[in-house]
Amino acid sequence: MRSSPKPRPNGWDALVVLVVLALAAGSALAVWGGGRTAAGPGTVVVTIGGQEVDRFPPEALLDSPRTYSGNGYTLELEYGLRGGGDPPLNHQAPSLEAGVQVAWADCPTRDCVRTGLITQRGQSIVCLPAGAIIRLTGTGAEDFGGVDAVVG
Amino acid sequence: MKLTTKQLTLCAVLTAMALALSYLENLFPLALAIPIPGVKLGLANIVTVFALYALGPAQALMILTARCLLGAMFAGNANALLFSLLGGFAAMLAMILLVRLERFSVYGVSIGGAAAHNCGQMAAAVLTLGSAAPLYYLPVLLAVSLAAGALTGLVAGSLFQALEHTNLRKLI
Repeated sequence: MRSSPKPRPNGWDALVVLVVLALAAGSALAVWGGGRTAAGPGTVVVTIGGQEVDRFPPEALLDSPRTYSGNGYTLELEYGLRGGGDPPLNHQAPSLEAGVQVAWADCPTRDCVRTGLITQRGQSIVCLPAGAIIRLTGTGAEDFGGVDAVVG
Repeated sequence: MKLTTKQLTLCAVLTAMALALSYLENLFPLALAIPIPGVKLGLANIVTVFALYALGPAQALMILTARCLLGAMFAGNANALLFSLLGGFAAMLAMILLVRLERFSVYGVSIGGAAAHNCGQMAAAVLTLGSAAPLYYLPVLLAVSLAAGALTGLVAGSLFQALEHTNLRKLI
């Protein structure tokens, strides 16, 4: 043997565990914290291969799901409600927590489908084979140049 | 680096074992329980840890590189190669450092390697997608690496304990 392995755990291993836990906590604060996962779904931004290909409010998916392709793989986005259930027919925001999810994908791992529903700003769904990122961001209205006031 | 025939054969056998373990862990789809890209048990790391202690960093790195290249070739997925290499090299670097310090057991080395592997794969995801969005999964991946690293450490530690009672250690 080139090095003598210590096959039984010792006190020094706790240092490694603490460092990993600290890294996890630090990255959680940096990525999840800071108010980025604010309430409300905001705007859906779809990026494929590093390029933004679409941007819309989640309610736009009530008309019909949207399909995107990248690297030869296809995935379909649909509107979703926390706890399941059918989306509202009047296209108004429901009382239940709403967001977007990948309904189906033909990528090999389908991790994007298993990620499930994202409902908060800052959350994202990643499909590595397709190179696709579906992210909830912004506050909604101002992203579409919505009219804030009418004068005259 | 000159290798004897016995060392070369041992490297080849360990590479084959690492490849087999990579495919075996697909039978335990951790992603069903934790639906995050890149979540896996990392069973092939058992071979890497064993090679690091038994053969040294240079040969362990050779086995790791061969396993990554062959794995990507068999899977027919060139994109996976970047993830395997970045994750593997990050893990190797962390484990070499931890072994050199001569303080940590196989458990600590494995956990450090697992965490570094996830960080390396996260870097590959950010490079591939051109976005920091995958970092959203990093905290969970790091937490999972504690369990996965402990599991591979348990297996590797049991392996070394078993070898203590054989003549294989002298043969290596």
